[in-house]
Amino acid sequence: MFKYLKRPLLMAARSTVRSLSGSAATTSITSSGGGSLIEVNKALNGWEHKLKDAGVRDTEFNLKCIVSHVLQRKFNTVPDDFAQLKFNAEQLADFERFCEARCARMPLQHIIGEWDFMDITLKTAPTVFIPRPETEEFVRLVIENYKNVKHVDMLEVGCGSGAMSLSMLHALPQVDATAIERSKAATALAWENAKLLGLHQRFKVHNHTMEEDKYMPEELKDKQYDLIISNPPYVKTDEFQYLHPEVVVYENLNALDGGSDGLRVARLVFELACRHLRPGGKLWLELGNEHPPLVKTIMHLQYQGRLTFVDSYFDQYKRERFVQLEKV
Amino acid sequence: MFIRKLLNVRSQCHLNLRRWASTDPLSFKNEKLQSYLESLRQEYYSLRVNAAGNNNSRLARLDGVVNALEKHRALQRNITSDEDMAAEKDEDMRALMQEENNVYTDLLQKQEDAMLKELLTLSDDKLYPALIFEVNAGAGGQEAMLFAHELYNMYISYFDYMGWQYEEFAHETTDIGGLRHANLLVYGTEAYQWLCYEAGVHRVQRVPATEKSGRIHTSTASIAVIPRPADAHVHIAERDLKIETKRASGAGGQHVNTTDSAVRIVHLPTGLAVEAQSERSQLKNRELAIKRLHAKLMQQQLESAEASTQATRKAQQGNQNRNEKIRTYNFVQDRVTDHRVQHGGTHHNLSGFLDGGQQLSGLIERLQLEHRQSKLVALLETWSADKN
Repeated sequence: MFKYLKRPLLMAARSTVRSLSGSAATTSITSSGGGSLIEVNKALNGWEHKLKDAGVRDTEFNLKCIVSHVLQRKFNTVPDDFAQLKFNAEQLADFERFCEARCARMPLQHIIGEWDFMDITLKTAPTVFIPRPETEEFVRLVIENYKNVKHVDMLEVGCGSGAMSLSMLHALPQVDATAIERSKAATALAWENAKLLGLHQRFKVHNHTMEEDKYMPEELKDKQYDLIISNPPYVKTDEFQYLHPEVVVYENLNALDGGSDGLRVARLVFELACRHLRPGGKLWLELGNEHPPLVKTIMHLQYQGRLTFVDSYFDQYKRERFVQLEKV
Repeated sequence: MFIRKLLNVRSQCHLNLRRWASTDPLSFKNEKLQSYLESLRQEYYSLRVNAAGNNNSRLARLDGVVNALEKHRALQRNITSDEDMAAEKDEDMRALMQEENNVYTDLLQKQEDAMLKELLTLSDDKLYPALIFEVNAGAGGQEAMLFAHELYNMYISYFDYMGWQYEEFAHETTDIGGLRHANLLVYGTEAYQWLCYEAGVHRVQRVPATEKSGRIHTSTASIAVIPRPADAHVHIAERDLKIETKRASGAGGQHVNTTDSAVRIVHLPTGLAVEAQSERSQLKNRELAIKRLHAKLMQQQLESAEASTQATRKAQQGNQNRNEKIRTYNFVQDRVTDHRVQHGGTHHNLSGFLDGGQQLSGLIERLQLEHRQSKLVALLETWSADKN
């Protein structure tokens, strides 16, 4: 069903990608001078409206991100009013291409090729799920719970770009992390990010698709962990029509599709946790809005003597979205 | 005690004190000083008797002075009195006594110096475990911001030089490498005793990098040092915070891809609002905003606490001199002049000074000593006035 929804957007996306890799857009501004500089504030002219018309929210922030990326400056060193900043012709062309892409709803994080997650900066790649602000809150909670534990063997199921595991490793030196990830692109990206951050000595990532009775890759089949974290796909299939274009067109829907009740993958993670958590070990999950009570019921009905529901937590928008389970 | 350790390092201090001890109000023979010391001793022992834990910090501070005083008295008892000396018939014995007395007098003198040092540190303001250090560009546009950045670098090196931990919670730069303002939290129990002398307006005179026709400009940057006393605790309860982001209501999580990084926090009990949007990560912005809120609440609390104790407040204003320039950095003549030092406030080798090491430290040390001395003198005057 969402294929139909996707098609026109995909077309738009393709043309954007083409324009991203293609020749520089020519405008009256670029053609006015060869090697001359143009003030950023002049180059911005009109883009805010165009972005708004395309349905992009928080346009000022989007523009600032793009400007700092084009100028290759750290975001927090660029003044909000862009005073005295200038583009050369090449930078101007880049800037306009990127804005064009953003108008086509390409995610900002893909356009600039990196994103900040908690204290670390991660590379992003097309199709790999981009971590959300709520996930920062989730990881903050987990870190809070483990900061005084001596040693933690951690497993992440579905690590994507590596955001959760790597920020755990960054914050807590006593953590060793293993991750499994079904997408090859994401597996490679997570490993690349680990190396860029210098955290690869405590991080391993395996390309593996979790299935019933083959939850873990062969080489990890006897492993036990103290902690499992996961942000599994939890979008219900019938919610796909409400997704943002950035999500539908540019992100891998495998990283989102949680089946009819949104817990299809989470159920696999429950099973995996039963087999690979040490007794007393914890499973932390980031899920959708209505899931925590549902998980509580599932634990009572199906996991008696295997997993227990410890507690649920709210994200920064006061939505009950995180759960902690314990291996009996 | 750390202050003692700190003072021992200072070599020049000793000389100054000797010269100084011979002038009237702080001479050891001075009766006021003697009775002041005796009152400190009595305070110390009465505190020790009913040490309920509340006054422990006062007790710890008195410890050094009283200890030195006791040693001094013990030494004094060893000196043979003139009468005894006169009563002694044996010539050799008398010579021996004289020799012994010379040794003790010497020791006594040293002990007096040590005691005076302790006494001087006692005249410091309260101890603060941390402080808020602010650098702000003043008059002079871009050039002032460039100078503010140089000052900022100087103090950062100085914090490292002194081994103080610091944490930055606001930093706004300009594109040509200048600094609009920066706020830091500096930790270190003695940090305030040193840095408070740096508060005020710093002036720079040079041909700025931005100047095309080669004229000399005068610009300013200011430093503010706000102490954070040990008993100032700001507790921010999660439920007191209203955290706002730009995101409209609607689905969250995997359903949308909003970057949603700017954060505004309202502290409900006080109505204070803070914002942060200088980072791309929302969580980082939230941490920044909470830090800012913390600093604001702290400042509020400090201001009200200071207002209640007028004496402290007056003393602080007296040495902070917010409205006047405290120091000039003249690049053309390669000199730094501190306007608070009466004689010899000028130092050359400006770049060495800006390294934030020994040169800066030496100047602060000098300001510190002068300030402590004048404070002790003032204290002695009011103290005896109270008694009479």
